[in-house]
Amino acid sequence: MKALDRRTLLRGVLGGAAVSIALPPLEAMMNGNGTAWAGGEAFPKRFGVYFWGNGVLPDRWNPTGEGTTWTPSPILMPLASLRDRLTVVSGTRVATLNTVPHGSGPAGLLSGDNEVNGSFTRPSLDQLVASAVGSETRFRSLETGVQRSDGSYSYAGPQQRNPIESDPRALFNRLFGEGFRAPGETSTPDPRLALRRSVLDAVTGQGTSLRQRLGANDRRRLEEHLDGVRAIERQLQRLEENPPSLAACRRPDAPPAEIPDVLGRPDMRARAQAMANLLAMALACDLTRVFFHMYSQPVNNTLFANAPAGHHQLTHDEPGAQPQVFAILQLIMGDLALFLEALRAVPEGDGTLLDHTLVLCTSDCSFGRTHALDEYPIVLAGGRSMGLRGNTHLRARGENASKVSYSILQMMGVRAADFGVGAGRVTEGLGGLLT
Amino acid sequence: MRRIAPALLASALALGCETPAPATTPDAAAPVDVAVTPPTPYVPQPAALRRLTQSQYANAVHDALGESVIVPRALEPDTVIDGSEALGSSAASLSPRGVEQYQDAAYAIAEQVLRDAARRAAVVPCTPSGVDDMACAQRFVQTVGRKLWRRALTADETATLTALAQRAATTLNDPLRGWEYALAAMLQAPDFLYRAELGTPVSMGSGELRFSGGEMASRLSFFLWDSIPDDALLDAAARGDLDNDAGVAREVDRMLASPKARRGLRAFVTDWLKLDGLDALSKDATVFPSFSADFGAAAREEVLRNAESFAFDDARDFRDFFTARETWVNRRLAALYGVQFPLREASVNEFARVTLPTATPRRGFLGSAAFLALEAHPVSTSPTLRGKFIREQLLCFTVPAPPVNVNTAIPEPSTSLRTLRQRLEQHMTARSCRSCHISLDPIGLTFERFDGIGRYRNTDNGAALDLRGTLDGATYNDEDGFLTALHDHPLLPECIVNRLYRHAWAQRETRDQREEIVRLRDAFAADGYRLRGLLRAIATGAAFRRASAAVDGDGGAP
Repeated sequence: MKALDRRTLLRGVLGGAAVSIALPPLEAMMNGNGTAWAGGEAFPKRFGVYFWGNGVLPDRWNPTGEGTTWTPSPILMPLASLRDRLTVVSGTRVATLNTVPHGSGPAGLLSGDNEVNGSFTRPSLDQLVASAVGSETRFRSLETGVQRSDGSYSYAGPQQRNPIESDPRALFNRLFGEGFRAPGETSTPDPRLALRRSVLDAVTGQGTSLRQRLGANDRRRLEEHLDGVRAIERQLQRLEENPPSLAACRRPDAPPAEIPDVLGRPDMRARAQAMANLLAMALACDLTRVFFHMYSQPVNNTLFANAPAGHHQLTHDEPGAQPQVFAILQLIMGDLALFLEALRAVPEGDGTLLDHTLVLCTSDCSFGRTHALDEYPIVLAGGRSMGLRGNTHLRARGENASKVSYSILQMMGVRAADFGVGAGRVTEGLGGLLT
Repeated sequence: MRRIAPALLASALALGCETPAPATTPDAAAPVDVAVTPPTPYVPQPAALRRLTQSQYANAVHDALGESVIVPRALEPDTVIDGSEALGSSAASLSPRGVEQYQDAAYAIAEQVLRDAARRAAVVPCTPSGVDDMACAQRFVQTVGRKLWRRALTADETATLTALAQRAATTLNDPLRGWEYALAAMLQAPDFLYRAELGTPVSMGSGELRFSGGEMASRLSFFLWDSIPDDALLDAAARGDLDNDAGVAREVDRMLASPKARRGLRAFVTDWLKLDGLDALSKDATVFPSFSADFGAAAREEVLRNAESFAFDDARDFRDFFTARETWVNRRLAALYGVQFPLREASVNEFARVTLPTATPRRGFLGSAAFLALEAHPVSTSPTLRGKFIREQLLCFTVPAPPVNVNTAIPEPSTSLRTLRQRLEQHMTARSCRSCHISLDPIGLTFERFDGIGRYRNTDNGAALDLRGTLDGATYNDEDGFLTALHDHPLLPECIVNRLYRHAWAQRETRDQREEIVRLRDAFAADGYRLRGLLRAIATGAAFRRASAAVDGDGGAP
């Protein structure tokens, strides 16, 4: 049993009333060496997927050298300032069927199975983690993106895809709008929250009576809907409680209502920065511990700055060594770097938010031109508190990429006998990842 | 009429690609089996729970609570399965985020309805005398509930919702503010968000199921109006009128005569022709300086208005939708098409009917900005995307995914390779590419005189264009020849029937439903390929009233 749950503590002190008092600063609640809260409860472990579409150029992706003596590859060079927080895993292959271009890779890596009828057949890795740690926070998980779109590879189950929020202002409103309180902010009890809860009770009641009349498959679909209703009930509960006292948590500035295009092209850098700031603060405030961030979509034809054509078209049509695709990949890695820097900028204990966040950075295939699934692009970032080695190029030639996912479950403390099915199934993680 | 031999069709439908298609179920749309074996008697599929699409949600709110209500746009996106939002609506599960968005939308709508005097007056049947006016709260719940849930509320449901309204009214000391919570509950209930049209046995212990009158009202209205039934339709259901052919036909004719039928048609055409993609067009401003942010919306409106004209105003042979020079344009589209805009001082939102000049080969849907811009890249055309769209959406072929580990590079333009056709020609010499692309690219290359946003051009990279090709045995020289071949292609009307059937049933047909498809195809032909007639044939067909019990452990996902 945990020695002290901060929320339990507050509820106990205040008798459950929805009021709050000015709380002592974080340091007062931490243990002596700054690695945990005062009750001995460690800083939360967070996990997220950072995804970009259309793969990489494998001949310029893999670092040279192995272990801790490695040199970032040309594509990874924009991440060089973060190298001590990176573990580049090269050489793995997605072992499931490669039948759906841009779909089979993520299905194999993140669910350990084939893509069927345009959907994963099982929950994606982020959702497996959310099942284990998501109930602690107001949001079980967050799905976000930079490119304007709604698609994702986060699946709660088969044919249950989690759409993303790619509008920074809308994300801000959802996370930090009405109802949000920074640590120490007081509020008066809001009777409307209780009314909203009774509304949800009525909705659940209606759903339960409809449920009786349905066949098995539809019953499952409706049950999943009702799970969502229960998730909002939990959100409302969390709003009635006092926020966790995390020193770095504060209400961020609202991003602009619109991030204008530049010369008719999306301003990916500005969009990436706005989303990175919000996600970092969502984690710092412990609003969620799991995220899926779709920097760009599979098959996206985004017009990047200075590119002569859309990204996807270039990956296929551009002849030769594809210098234009290379330039785009460097932009993408630059935006990944600013995301990781946003996490590193948040102090947490004697380290940073990045130390307590494990980020799986990956794409939908290795070579965009051929949709190949060997030499899969995988970078693990942060995760130091979970034992991830860092500052490493781990060459894992021919290994099943599912092992990386299994390792992530282990690092996040999710108990699982295996990961994936069929050719995608593994029962052990990848050696060499942990310190 | 020219008939393609079944054997030829069989190979054509598989597109002759050497790589096997990814693991998909056999496409029962294949018209081939009909010619080979006579269809077996119609057997319905178990009806699946259908979640309202985004447009159905918005239409339902407008019909039940007022046209002026602003429906939040942040709702769970429609899931597309096999290129169809209808198929997705009966298979996909809602995400937890989607539930949250339904909640936010419900309160935003409830506030608009109950805090605005004019809107409230149109919806609330009484004026509450105070927070404890139980009778008025109950009437409110019953009246609005019947509209939103497409049926009378049970006594228990009425009691629960009335109590909720009362409790909130008391807590907030304001009856109307309190009722917002009851309305929000109705809007979040699965009874509103899903269509549970499951059927009931025709007699005790019978395995034969029929949709009840109430279920039929919902089936008809969502199919023909893309929305909830009106009071007249619910009344007809309550009277038992929808339990017999004559009663259904009477209501269907009334519904098709209503302006709401245009919304139903729009929903189908949007899904079928993938017009939602126009909301997110990405075009390079340096290549297409005339491209503007409102381009997609205008292009979409042109196609939808045209479809309305064909189906309702003119009741024309719908195959002409692909060949006619009449179309609808706003000022921007008129400039793009090089046609005089007939209205003076019109805003950009105003559309007018025009006849396209014969100076360019532009005509029909395939000459529209919608098709030409959607099936193209941000900087250039894409003969492959255009060809694939025509194969899949207009002729109902299944195009398999490209094989893995193939070099797809296209040489840069050069003095010897100037046009896209020449550059693709080189790439098409590889057998693994050619086997599929031979069925796609040449069709698309026929439209090379229209650039990536649909502007007419005479040359590509300064070189003359070769537009020749063949379509399933018909040889042609240019767009005109292709459009004639498409117009007369026996698979075109068959495919329209197939897509409309999937839209109406939200299911992928199997051999068991083949008899109904054949009936509809023949009725479509006999009626001169008029879309209104096809809508009527589906809605009034005996099959549309027949249901099948859900199978436990399966549940009838498509």
